Amino acid sequence: MNTLIIAKRVLKQLQGDKRFLALSIIAPLIIIYFLKLLFDTFPPTILVTNFTIPISAFIVHFLSFLLCAILLVQERTRGTLERMLISGFRRSSIIGGYSIGYLGLATLQAVAVLFESLWLFDLNYSKETILILFIVIWLLAVVSVMLGIFVSTFARHEGHVFPFIPLIILPSVFLTGLIINTDALPGWVAFIGKCLPLHYAVNIIHEIIKPEYSLHNTYVDFTVLTSYIFLLWILASLTLRESE
Amino acid sequence: MQITNAVEIENLCKDYGKLHALNNIMLNVPEGTIYGLVGPNGAGKTTLIKVLVGAVKSTAGNVKVLGLDPLQDKWKLRGQIGYMPQTPALYDDLSAKGNIMFFAGAQNIPDLEKKTDEILNFAELTNRANDLVRTFSGGMKKRVSLCCALIHQPKIVFLDEPTAAIDPHLKLQSWNLFRQLAKTGVTLFISTHLMEEALLCDKVTILRNGEIIAVDAPQKILERGKTILKFSEGGEIKESIIDSTPESLAKELQRFGLNQSITSISFHPDNIENIVLNIIREKENSEQE
Repeated sequence: MNTLIIAKRVLKQLQGDKRFLALSIIAPLIIIYFLKLLFDTFPPTILVTNFTIPISAFIVHFLSFLLCAILLVQERTRGTLERMLISGFRRSSIIGGYSIGYLGLATLQAVAVLFESLWLFDLNYSKETILILFIVIWLLAVVSVMLGIFVSTFARHEGHVFPFIPLIILPSVFLTGLIINTDALPGWVAFIGKCLPLHYAVNIIHEIIKPEYSLHNTYVDFTVLTSYIFLLWILASLTLRESE
Repeated sequence: MQITNAVEIENLCKDYGKLHALNNIMLNVPEGTIYGLVGPNGAGKTTLIKVLVGAVKSTAGNVKVLGLDPLQDKWKLRGQIGYMPQTPALYDDLSAKGNIMFFAGAQNIPDLEKKTDEILNFAELTNRANDLVRTFSGGMKKRVSLCCALIHQPKIVFLDEPTAAIDPHLKLQSWNLFRQLAKTGVTLFISTHLMEEALLCDKVTILRNGEIIAVDAPQKILERGKTILKFSEGGEIKESIIDSTPESLAKELQRFGLNQSITSISFHPDNIENIVLNIIREKENSEQE
C-alpha cells in the first residue's frame, strides 16, 4: 500500500515537471538521430544494424540509471527521504515506489527509442522480434532504475553520482560487446564485462536480430538480466541508509 | 505523583570524525511539557533532535523516547512521534494538502482528508490548500511542514527551529498551539536559536559546542541575570545593579525604606540573550582556567 503511495507521488512529480519529462524523452531521440548521421558516414562494409538496437538499449540504460540516481539523491539532500523514513515509510516501500514510478518513464523511453531506431534505420524486423527487443530494453531499464537506486545510497549529493559514470557506464560501452567483440578481449577484461547487465541485454539483442534466431539461445541471458533486478533490489534495500 | 519522562538521555555522545557534535548529554524531558533546546548555530541542537527521532546513530550513550529506543524500536516509535526538520522537506510539485496527505500515508489515519482540512485551517492555509508548495513563501512552507508533523496526533513532537522565518502573528499562533498541545499531554521538544522563545518553554536546556551548559526553568535562567534599578530621588537619578531575583529586589527596596523623597523607580532586567551569553562566557572562562 505504502509502495503505491510513493509510486503515485513519483509519477505525479514526473507529470508535473513537463520540462524534465520532455528532455528525458527527447534527449535519447536526438542522440539516436545523431547516431544515424554518424552511421551514414560509415562504409557499407560495416553492418551498422548490428550496433543500432544495442546502442539504443545502452542510451535507455544510461539515462534511466543517471536520472533515477540523481532524483533519489535529491530526495536525500532536500530532507524528504529522511522525513519519509521518520514518518514510517519502510525502505522496501521507498525502493518499490521509486521503481514503479520511474518504470513509467523508462517504458516511455524504451518505446520511443526503439521505434525511432526501427524507423530511422529502416529495420524490418518481425512483430515478434520487435516485441522481444522491447522486453529486453524494458528489462534493462528496470535494472538501470535499480542500479540508480543502489548507487544513490552511496551519494550525499548529486555530484557524488558522477564518479559512478566512468565506473559503471564506460565499462558497459567497451566491455559488454556493444562496440567491441568480447571474444577479442583478455579473459579478465571479458569477465568484468560479464558482470555488467548490459552484456546480457546485448547478447539477447544480437541473437534476436538474426534472421533465424532461436529464443532458446537467449534463456540464460534473460535469466541473468532478470536476476539483476532482484539482486539490485535486495542490495538497495540493504544499503539505503535509514540513519547516519 | 511520579513524573514520567517522555525522553531520557544518558551520557549521549555523537562524533563526526574528530568533531564532537554531542558530548556526554544527560537530559530528562517530562511528559506534557514544552522543552526548549536553546543555543547558537552549530551548538548540536539539530544533531540531538536527529538522534532522538532515529535519523542519526549515537556514538555512545543511551536514549529512550517514550520508553523506546529510537533505532531498535523505530517501527513502534514512528507512529507516536512527530518531526519537523529545520528545512521544510516538502515536495514542491505537490500541493500543501498533497504533502500532508502523502507523509500521513505512512500511518493508517482514519478520516485523513477531514483531519488534513482541519490542520490546514489551523495553519490558515485553507485558501492555499490545493496550490503547489513551490509557489509558497518560506513561512508558508514552515506552516505546511508543521502540519505534516502534527497530522497523526503524535505523543511527542520534535520541532527543529519551527518558528524561524515566520511572521510574528503566526509565531504567536504557533506558540498558542504548542501550549494547547502540551495541555492535552503532548510533549514538545523545540529547538530554537531565538532566546526570547526560551521564555515560552516550561524548561530550557542551553547547549554550546555539543555540551549542556545550563538546564533550568526560564524564570530561573532570567534570575541569573542582573537588574538595573533607577531611582529618581529629589530630581537626581541614581542607579543600583542587583541580582534579578525577587529576594534581591525586596532587599534593595528595603534598603531605601519607604522614603518619600523617592518619586519613581524603574526596573531594567537583563534580557534573556545577555543572560545566556553571560552563561556561555562564564563557561568558556571556567574552561580556560
